[in-house]
Amino acid sequence: MNEQLSILDLVLNASLVVQLVMGLLLLASMVSWVVIFQRGFTLATVRREAIEFENEFWSGKDLRKIYLEIESAEREPIGLENIFVAGFKEFTRLRQQKAADHDQTMQYVGRAMRVAMSREEERLETGLPFLATVGSTSPYVGLFGTVWGIMNSFRGLATVNQASLSVVAPGISEALVATAIGLFAAIPAVIAYNRYAALVEVSVNRFDAFTDEFSGLLYRALHNQK
Amino acid sequence: MNLTGYSILSVFLAVAIHAVIVGLLLTNWQSEEHFPVTPAEKFYIDASVVKQNPHTVKKENTAKIKRQAQARRQKEKKAAQQRARLAQEALDKQAALDKQKAEEAQRKQAAIEQSRLEQLLEQQRREIAESEQQAADELAEADRARLEQEIALAVIEEQDYRRAVTDDEKAQAYVAQIQREMIQNWSRPPSARNGMQAIVRVRLVPTGEVVSVDVEESSGNDAFDRSVVQAVQKSGRFLVPADSRQFERNFRSFTVLFRPEDLRL
Repeated sequence: MNEQLSILDLVLNASLVVQLVMGLLLLASMVSWVVIFQRGFTLATVRREAIEFENEFWSGKDLRKIYLEIESAEREPIGLENIFVAGFKEFTRLRQQKAADHDQTMQYVGRAMRVAMSREEERLETGLPFLATVGSTSPYVGLFGTVWGIMNSFRGLATVNQASLSVVAPGISEALVATAIGLFAAIPAVIAYNRYAALVEVSVNRFDAFTDEFSGLLYRALHNQK
Repeated sequence: MNLTGYSILSVFLAVAIHAVIVGLLLTNWQSEEHFPVTPAEKFYIDASVVKQNPHTVKKENTAKIKRQAQARRQKEKKAAQQRARLAQEALDKQAALDKQKAEEAQRKQAAIEQSRLEQLLEQQRREIAESEQQAADELAEADRARLEQEIALAVIEEQDYRRAVTDDEKAQAYVAQIQREMIQNWSRPPSARNGMQAIVRVRLVPTGEVVSVDVEESSGNDAFDRSVVQAVQKSGRFLVPADSRQFERNFRSFTVLFRPEDLRL
C-alpha cells in the first residue's frame, strides 16, 4: 500500500493496543467475508440441487435407479440426496434382512433419515455462529480500541499545559478508526447471518417435508408389497 | 470437492473486496487534502498586545521631524537658489545697463574721457559685484550652518531611534511571553465565536503584578469580556524587564486585543 497516506499514518501511529484491536478486527472482517461468500455459494448450490433432485424424484423414475445414479456420481451428494440415500439404503437393507416388521422398518428408516438430515443441517450452518459472533462483538472490540486510544490521548493532554483541541484531536481520530473498522466488520456479518439463517431454515423445512413424503412413499410401498 | 473450491474462491473474493474498499477509502482520504491532521503544538488563539506605548509615537514623531526637516531643507535650498538666481539676474541687468551707459557715454563723450570713465565704471561694477558676492556668501554661510545643525539633530535622532529599536526587540520577547501566558489562562466561554474581539487595558507595577484590568472595547458579550479579564487576572504577574526605562515605556500600561480564531463557530 501507499505510504504517504494520512489514514495509514493514523493507523501506524496508533498505540499498540489500538493497533492490535484494529488488526484483530481486520482479520475478523476478512474471515467473515470468506464465510459469507462460502456460505452463499454453498447454500445456493444446496438449494439448486434440492430442486433438481425433487424434480427427478417426483418424475416417476425408479427409486433404485436414482439411488444408483447418486452413488455412481463423481461429486459428493449434498442436501436432499444425502437424506434420500440414507433412507433408501436403510430401507433396502432392512427389506433384505426381512427381520423387522413394517413399523419397525419405518422407524429405522425414519431415524436414519433424521440423522442424515441433522448432519446436513449442521453442514449448512457451518460458519454461521462465527458470523453471529463477529456481528455482535466486533463493534464492542472496536469500541474498546477507541476508548483505549481516547484514554491515552487524554492522559497525554494532562501533561500538556496548553489545553487545546488540536492536542487531542489526532489521538481521538486514530482511536475512532478502530470503531470504524469494528462496524465495517460487523455490519456485513450481521446482514449475512440473518439472511443465511433464513435460507438454512428454508432448506431444513424442505428437508423435513421431503423426509415425511419419502417415509410415506416407503410405507405405502411396504404395504403394497405385502 | 465442491466446498474446497468454494473456499478458495471465497477467500479470493473476500480479499478482493477488502482491497477494493481499503483502496477506495485511502484514495478518497488522500483526495481530501484539506482534512486537517494538525500537528499538536499549534494554537490559533490570538491575543495580541496592542501597545499604545510612547515609543511608537516617538518613532513616528522622529520620522515626522525628519521629514519636516528635510522638507524645510529643500525649501531653503530652493529659496537660496532663487535668491542666487535673482542676484545673478540683477548683476547681469546691472552689467548690461552699465555697459549701455558706458557705450552711451563712450559715444557721447570724447575719447579722452573714455578711458577714465571706463575705469570708473569698472570700479563701480566691481564694487557692486563684490557686495553681491558678499551677500551671497553670507547667505550660503547661514545655510550651511543650519544644515549642519539639522544633520547633527538627525544623527542624534537616528541614534535615539536605533537604541529604541534594540529595546523594542528585547521588549518583543517579553511581550511574547505575556501573550503566551494570557492565552494559556484564557478559557473561552461557550458563547464565544470567531471574530469576537475585546480590548482590555492592563496596568502593571514594576514587579510585573497586574494592578488593574479594564475593558476598553467590549465584545458585546459579557461572558466573553469576563473571560478576557479573568485571563489577565489569573496570570496575576507577568515577567517584565528589570530596566525601569523600558518598563515605563512599554509595560506600565498596555492594551491587549483578545480575538479567538480557532473556534468552530
